[in-house]
Amino acid sequence: MRPVLIGCLLALLLVSFDSLGDESATIVIANRTVQQTSLPLETLRAIFAMRQRTLPDGHAVHVFVLPDDNPVHEDFSKKILGVYPHQLRLAWDRAVFSGTGQAPNEVDNEAEMLETIASTPGSVGYIKQSSLNDQVRVLDIE
Amino acid sequence: MIRFGCSTLNRLTYFTVAAQAAISMIWASSAHSMEMSDTFQIHGFMSQALIVTDHNDFFGPSSDDGGSLEYTELGINASFRPMSNVLVAGQLLARQAGDIQQLNDIELDYGIIDYQFYSNADMTSGVQLGRFKNPLGLYNQTRDVAITRPSILLPQSIYFDRTRQPALAADGATGYFEKLLDNGALRLQIGAGKPRMDEQSELSALGNDDLGDYSGETSYIAQLRYEYGGGGTIFALTYADVNAGLDSKTTGPGSGDFSFQPWIFSFQYNRESWSFTSEYAIRHVKSSGFADPYNYEATGESWYVQFTYRLADDWQWLLRYDSLVTDRDDQSGRKYVGETGRPAYTRYAKDWTTGLQWQPYSRVLVSSEFHNIEGTGWVPFQDSEEIKAQEKYWNMLLFQVSYLF
Repeated sequence: MRPVLIGCLLALLLVSFDSLGDESATIVIANRTVQQTSLPLETLRAIFAMRQRTLPDGHAVHVFVLPDDNPVHEDFSKKILGVYPHQLRLAWDRAVFSGTGQAPNEVDNEAEMLETIASTPGSVGYIKQSSLNDQVRVLDIE
Repeated sequence: MIRFGCSTLNRLTYFTVAAQAAISMIWASSAHSMEMSDTFQIHGFMSQALIVTDHNDFFGPSSDDGGSLEYTELGINASFRPMSNVLVAGQLLARQAGDIQQLNDIELDYGIIDYQFYSNADMTSGVQLGRFKNPLGLYNQTRDVAITRPSILLPQSIYFDRTRQPALAADGATGYFEKLLDNGALRLQIGAGKPRMDEQSELSALGNDDLGDYSGETSYIAQLRYEYGGGGTIFALTYADVNAGLDSKTTGPGSGDFSFQPWIFSFQYNRESWSFTSEYAIRHVKSSGFADPYNYEATGESWYVQFTYRLADDWQWLLRYDSLVTDRDDQSGRKYVGETGRPAYTRYAKDWTTGLQWQPYSRVLVSSEFHNIEGTGWVPFQDSEEIKAQEKYWNMLLFQVSYLF
């Protein structure tokens, strides 16, 4: 058990040295083709509000989210974006029905989130720190 | 008498067929590209309301026994991103609102190509070409989508139906510039285009819809919006210069122009369990070039304060006071009575509203609300017989079920 735990921790260190922290904390992840290692908070908000469609490097961004009532989604909305989940949902509905943006792609759970982010170029999403593997890149939020 | 029979169902079928045709056309055009179909989305909404009033009809025979079911909204849209910075989107809308609009008059609500030509870490700029939704105040762009509204009826002083058609969208181009700040975002949108006119807007401008050919002329809109803390606090300032012209019949009042220039100040403060919203509008209207009495100039004033409270994750309560004055220099309508002989209360409306929204499922909304109203200033235009039968004090109860996907 113990070597496995140490192995996991080492793997975490390798992929995200400075974001290593509270295991239950939510972190922002991206496909490995994404060139950025960090994003300003307002850029992340604009991307997750579906107002900005490209990453600062010019590539198309594909946004993935968990269901509204998922605790990780709630944590991401409130603690990282600083927006309540119902406000975020309203922003998506307003974008979708006014022709100003699209809805984000919804995945069912963290396992699917990891798998999709790993296989979709230009994708961003979020998971719990403890679910992180080396198939995705961690984005630091400034 | 509830009027919801065979003809309504036929119209629904017609709408479904049209929507399916539109979808298959879009599918066919995007089928050759993997990247495109990855971003292809379809969404829609539908809502049905029951409106009961003690006096005055609103959207159908609401003051009859059983109320009116003539308030229905159906919409379907499709969008995709053919390139990383291009969005193509279109929506079909069918709406019944009493006699003003019929369900089988399916219209293109918006149809745009959005090219986001500049985007870096702190700035985004783009342009929308086609039929774009006007960013008037906080709610105009999605005013027909129940789930984006805090109540079944939006505050009528600002979002009234008389000039809904020209307010809704314009055919032209709009540019947007968004500057990301330290803990906020500043967004400027400027548009120019031709608004669409209908019978209600013609009646609203000229008091008559049989004077000639009334159509929209080049109009402008600008909105400056500031959001702080991810949308926790929102300020917006909107200005529009809406123009229309009448090509008069020989029996008409002569050809002339009509202009409508609203300023709208919007404010919203959001907390986890409650929101406070207020908007104030000052509306300048002018018609010129006609024979009298068709030339006039007036400035109207509208405002509301609204409080919503989330009782639980799926329940929300609303309280609002909403006020409209057609002519700021004649707030009580007394001058109007002297000039026209029509009732003073047709020139203003004061509306106290309280409502409840329940979301049993994330995509289903069930709502009800109660209005206590003095005045008929925003009731859709009616013929002189109906105006005679109007009452100054009236109450309205609404129920609505809506679904979106």
